[in-house]
Amino acid sequence: MQKTIIEPNGRNFQYWKDIWRYRELAFNFAKRDVTVRYKQTMIGFGWAVISPVVNMIIMTFIFGNVAGLASEGDVPYSIMVYSGIIPWTILSKSIQNGAGTFINNAAIMQKVYFPRILSPLGSMLAFLIDAAISFAVLLVLMLIFHFINGFVPSLRIFITPLIMVWAMLLGLAAGLFLSAFNVKWRDLNQALPFLISLGQYISPVAYSVNENFGDKWWLNLYCLNPAVGILETFKWCIIRSMKFNTFAFFASIVWTLILIPVGIKLFRKTERTFVDIV
Amino acid sequence: MIDERPVMIDIKDVKKKYVIRHNTEKPASFSGRLKLVTRKVLHPSRRYDKEDFWALKGISFQVRQGEKVGIIGKNGAGKSTLLKILSRITEPTDGRIELLGKVSAMLEVGTGFNGELTGRENIYLNGAILGMTKAEIDSKFDDIVEFSEVGRFIDTPVKRYSSGMFVRLAFAVASHLDPDILIVDEVLSVGDTKFQRKCITQMMNIAQSGKTILYVSHQMQTIQQLCDRVIVLKAGEIIFDGDVQKGIEMYTDSIDTTETKKNLSGHKPRGTQMATVENVEVLDKDSCVWLYNESIHFKVTVKAHDDCEDLRFEFMFRDMTDKNLGKAESAPLGVMKSGETYEYDIVLNTQNVLAPDKYTLGIELWKIKENLYTVYDIVVDALSIEILSEDESRPEIPEIFWESNIFGNMMLPEAEVKLLSEKM
Repeated sequence: MQKTIIEPNGRNFQYWKDIWRYRELAFNFAKRDVTVRYKQTMIGFGWAVISPVVNMIIMTFIFGNVAGLASEGDVPYSIMVYSGIIPWTILSKSIQNGAGTFINNAAIMQKVYFPRILSPLGSMLAFLIDAAISFAVLLVLMLIFHFINGFVPSLRIFITPLIMVWAMLLGLAAGLFLSAFNVKWRDLNQALPFLISLGQYISPVAYSVNENFGDKWWLNLYCLNPAVGILETFKWCIIRSMKFNTFAFFASIVWTLILIPVGIKLFRKTERTFVDIV
Repeated sequence: MIDERPVMIDIKDVKKKYVIRHNTEKPASFSGRLKLVTRKVLHPSRRYDKEDFWALKGISFQVRQGEKVGIIGKNGAGKSTLLKILSRITEPTDGRIELLGKVSAMLEVGTGFNGELTGRENIYLNGAILGMTKAEIDSKFDDIVEFSEVGRFIDTPVKRYSSGMFVRLAFAVASHLDPDILIVDEVLSVGDTKFQRKCITQMMNIAQSGKTILYVSHQMQTIQQLCDRVIVLKAGEIIFDGDVQKGIEMYTDSIDTTETKKNLSGHKPRGTQMATVENVEVLDKDSCVWLYNESIHFKVTVKAHDDCEDLRFEFMFRDMTDKNLGKAESAPLGVMKSGETYEYDIVLNTQNVLAPDKYTLGIELWKIKENLYTVYDIVVDALSIEILSEDESRPEIPEIFWESNIFGNMMLPEAEVKLLSEKM
């Protein structure tokens, strides 16, 4: 028979076993999120297509046409923007999901135990479906541009799923890190959407790093932003002529390796007694 | 006789501390905020800031396989804290618990139910939240649906359910868990009477199948039906552990009506605590016993920890099972200055209404301003009182024997009956 031990500041060795035991719950949360999100909507999954596409059109128009910025090599501006939007959306959703875990699910968590981390994991699983749909849109977009001006993606496109999972992990780690603060100071709830929309401008979502900052002295400083490495690597997977941004890549890797253990540790510390504070 | 059944629940010296942070008002003006900061710097340890509260003060007991233990105690005795720790929702501050086997906790019915999802979808979601695997739910699905009596509405979103259907479905899922240890909070008091009876039967079935059950309730009747052992909690400590009947008596008898003067300054802080109830004293009596035709008369001392205006009293009567019976509110109390103490003389006109029985009286300080209801302080059991039937008013019935659980708690004065006509 299984044995559960409850102690203060639990050296809770059964935690990882619990996650395995409750694994189906993550899928149930994911299923709930997907079902609820598109119930009573007219076009359902269409929204997973519309929002990135409209975003792409606007950004292409503003940055490519009005501001006249150059695209990465010879790639159509919209393809470059779209390959920035995909990982950026995953990243920002993961951060928000992770950070809001305790606040958004307080009602359930005050009444029943399960490894709390399954809740943001479930939400992210649900979101990966949206991400897959918007990736399919990218494929269609590339096909269109293939016929218009002979665009051919890099073969590295097969690595992109890995980069998407990476974006999810980094975002989730950052979110878990923030979730601890979110319980005590709700200011973060207000600040986060604002910070994320700000982050979009200091990350290469809608513009090319090489074309705009390639020769600036602060380039490496800019690349310390953990989002840069992920976005640059994702774009590099799509765009044949793009050169690999080694510095940004390793900066993001280091961020990920630091944030995952720190984020999980802080999250676990919070989940043990957060119901006493909320 | 040595009990050889395995110990399923082993609780050793479990303590739980809550740090209560009082919500001091945030003054809108700059000068007000400045005043607050200066005051905090000058008196860093003042009561309105932070306070430790021990909800459990060292609880130890063991439960063996197949035992059905009822936990009783007044509000604030630590029952829900104990359940929350046992169900791993929060951690103890000190101590150690060992649980053997699969544990399921039912602290609420319908946790995680989503109105947008259908009954079927909710069964799977709720089942998973409660720790069932998909295979388990699949095999019990038909039983759950049958038990819930929702029938053909199983594929309708539950937001369209009546509240009765909702509760039935939720309980149906929870009652089909198959744990070794079942921890249940007062969830049986849901739904209509017919369904309640069905729930209790279901619980008894679970109980008879040799499961270990920990059941918290205010309903002594259900405790008597379900449990074979009772633990009485009082202010975070175990004051009785053993026979059900004795435990229930102990619980009822622990209500002491001889205390006419009570210092309440150490009570569990609730509300903003900007003003607190400090003392309660019954005037011109040596016990809290009143006659049926008397009004209840006592004195309350309130201390203001901040400037307050127009607070009101609320006096709540509860019966021995902590059920709210009725209340009296006061008019606004006017201005209170920070640091001052105020004494109030109180008369509650319960004469010729409140039936002979034992009651607890709660005192609350609250305020309503621009439709905003703010609680300043609550003392759940300020006084334990007893009402006796008086002898003189109805000489023909010398000792009125009032059974509250049959007749209720309202004994109206003698009905006025006049003979209008008489036909031979």
